Amino acid sequence: MRRITSGTWLVLGLFALWEASARLGWVDSPNWPPVTEVVAALIRDSITGELPLRVGGSLWRMFSGLLAGGLAGVVVGLAFALVPVTARLFGVVVEALRPIPVPAVIPPLVLFLGLDDPMKITVVALTVFFPVLTNTMQGVRAVEVEAIAMGRTFGIGPWRRAAFIVLPACLPYVLAGLRVALGLALVVTVVAEMIAGEQGVGNYLVVMQFAGRAPEMYATVLLLAALGYALNRAFVTLEKRAIHWWFAMGR
Amino acid sequence: MNITRRATLAIPAALAAPSLRAQSLTKMRVSVIPVLDVAPLHAAIREGYFAAEGIEIDTSTTAGGATGLPGLVAGQFRVVFSNVVSIMLGVREGLPFRFVSGASKGKDAPPDILALLVRKGSGITTGRDLEGKRMASNTRNNIVWLRGMAWVEKTGGDWRRVSTVEVPFPQMADALAGGRVDAAIFSEPFVAAALETHGDKLERIGWPISETAPGGTNAQYVAMAEDLAANADLFDRFGRALHKGVDWVNERAGQPALLELIANFSRVPLARLQKTALPAYPKGVTPAELDELVATMQRYGLTGTYPASAGLIHRTARV
Repeated sequence: MRRITSGTWLVLGLFALWEASARLGWVDSPNWPPVTEVVAALIRDSITGELPLRVGGSLWRMFSGLLAGGLAGVVVGLAFALVPVTARLFGVVVEALRPIPVPAVIPPLVLFLGLDDPMKITVVALTVFFPVLTNTMQGVRAVEVEAIAMGRTFGIGPWRRAAFIVLPACLPYVLAGLRVALGLALVVTVVAEMIAGEQGVGNYLVVMQFAGRAPEMYATVLLLAALGYALNRAFVTLEKRAIHWWFAMGR
Repeated sequence: MNITRRATLAIPAALAAPSLRAQSLTKMRVSVIPVLDVAPLHAAIREGYFAAEGIEIDTSTTAGGATGLPGLVAGQFRVVFSNVVSIMLGVREGLPFRFVSGASKGKDAPPDILALLVRKGSGITTGRDLEGKRMASNTRNNIVWLRGMAWVEKTGGDWRRVSTVEVPFPQMADALAGGRVDAAIFSEPFVAAALETHGDKLERIGWPISETAPGGTNAQYVAMAEDLAANADLFDRFGRALHKGVDWVNERAGQPALLELIANFSRVPLARLQKTALPAYPKGVTPAELDELVATMQRYGLTGTYPASAGLIHRTARV
């Protein structure tokens, strides 16, 4: 078994502080329940199957959005970097759309896409698109000129060069963009679910808030923190496997 | 949640109307807020009244009334539950909302579904004391705010000199106890929750509905005029089923069965609901109650030309 790291001790210490602050009345509000009650609520609603179902739904929406937005980001990023005319045509539009906060575009998206999965997945995809796009473009710029020149010398056409030389070479950048996007995607999924519809973890959070059930509210917050952490760890592991050559080069 | 709701809907429906073909159910999406006022809708769903009329109700919860009415205009919902002030403001702007059914009203005597709370020992007892102070309302320009302003005026204050701060209901008790606002207009079940958890710090000084407009109108169900004209039969069936739900709720006033129903959809703990004041559940909407409301709105700055109220009431709400 691995030794417990100092980071784990810090988390446990913070939980102890939370418990003490609620039990000893340092924070005197019903909206600040002790962490043990929060964990009890988490276990209760996990056993009934409600939370696992909702988490599953949220994750499904998140990964759909991640896939759609990630693919679009890579394709557009490659196009912008390899075919300069596309960047000149669409670059301004993309740069103008990028700084818009996602919660601000949810109302018009509701108008066009409704309140269900299409709207929520689109919101996630939009969020994921931009970091992946920027990183892909940066990645293409970092591809070694010799690699592309050698491809040309061997008579490989532009499509195959993009797919088999440029894309693998810029994969580390794409994956770094996806990792940033992964964290954002979870946040945005929950925000979209909080606004409308009766699906997912976000809706659970709103219902519990309106029912005045603080332990369930914080249980969701804890769950999301754990989920975000686990997703990131899983992604790093996959990343190490996918681009082990990059790490092997000592970069 | 959705799955269990459909399941509970299907079982009584199968018993009540065996001849009904399951495929013939018309889906209607209704926007609701998780509040006590929508108990009849949930009763009608659970008891299978909608299924017996060939309707499947898909409720969509929104945190406030704000997303409901725009969603109705955009065609996302067939029916929206909303507070009457927001509805009438939409009507004033030319939106073709029509009342399909009443939802909730204040009772003629306390306890109200709204209450004005202040900190104990703050010395505030009237609207006059609130002048120059900060008062929390969940939203500006809705029924809660309007009744609060009417209360300020009724108790000798000038509503223009009370500044309104928007605080969501779940955070009101903390904001008030923490001194961030000087008074707050709570709606049930948040009144019961605040007095339960902050009872040593907060006290109630007013009943905004029964002190200013006893039995005053509060919230309704609305639909779009074109949809009502094109699908009058569907909405007749909707109205019939919903009103059977109203009967179910009214027959069980003060009984545990009603509180269990509310606890089920709102997730509010049963123990708290036992201390919660419930609204009156009307079936209809009357021109008189809308006229009274419009007059109050005009008085508190929500001025403008409102169409004649009788024309806004669909036949399902003329009961």
